[in-house]
Amino acid sequence: MELTDGDLIARVLVDDDQHAFGELVRRHQSSVRGLLRQLTRTDVALADDLAQNAFLRAYKNIRSFRGEARFSTWLYRIAYNCFREDARRRKELVGIDEEQLQAERDPQVADPGLRHDLMHALNLLPLHERSAVLLCCQNGLSHEEAARVLDIPLGTVKTNVLRGREKLKRTLAAWKPE
Amino acid sequence: MDEIKHEDWLDRQLREAAPYIDDEGFTARVLRQLPPPRHARRSFRGAILLTITLLASVLAYLLSDGGRFLVVAITRLTTLPMLWLFVLALGSGILVMAGGIIAAVSKTRELQS
Repeated sequence: MELTDGDLIARVLVDDDQHAFGELVRRHQSSVRGLLRQLTRTDVALADDLAQNAFLRAYKNIRSFRGEARFSTWLYRIAYNCFREDARRRKELVGIDEEQLQAERDPQVADPGLRHDLMHALNLLPLHERSAVLLCCQNGLSHEEAARVLDIPLGTVKTNVLRGREKLKRTLAAWKPE
Repeated sequence: MDEIKHEDWLDRQLREAAPYIDDEGFTARVLRQLPPPRHARRSFRGAILLTITLLASVLAYLLSDGGRFLVVAITRLTTLPMLWLFVLALGSGILVMAGGIIAAVSKTRELQS
């Protein structure tokens, strides 16, 4: 029988079982790294560094996980905070802004596929809309969970998702199925 | 109706645009960076405490003229009236029990939070 996230967390808390924590990392690494890759606009190395940092922070603070939300939601929140802190630090250090980052990382490959257009359209969204769309539409979080992750009011999340989706729909209008 | 279909289509495309990322050593890298397990840290702390206690005991024994104060204290204790001995035993028992309860409560809170 497979252990639940709750069982594994209990093992980490009671016995400081690092194998149990390893299993939690294995289970959630894909979604956390995926989210960070999208947030960093496909900068794989940076996203993986941030993901590593997020899991280490999760291990150190696992006692503050109260089980009110899903473990994945709690992890997303830590990952998002790591991303935000890093973005702030980079901006302070080298004075780069979102638009500059986008220009640097925008893939200029001649890929006419829907996937490429979708990623491009996502990258065009401002960070607050992109994060809300990624969490709710891609990672399947409820609006309430996304509000907790992003630490913003529920109404703002709903607005950001709505606006983000509208923009994506407009950009991808040519791909709309009949 | 078309609008709902389009939204479903968009959500599906977004989900498919996030394929499963293979671990490729990621978990191992995270585990390598974790601090040593608590029981290892605990046993190290235990060893330090034991050494300090032993050193302090030896020092106290040497400074107190071979532990003469213990003999004096026990002699005094035997001369105490029965009631005082009873009160002393009861007080020590309550003190130890209170310590145990406090430790149990704090451990329970730690595990619940």
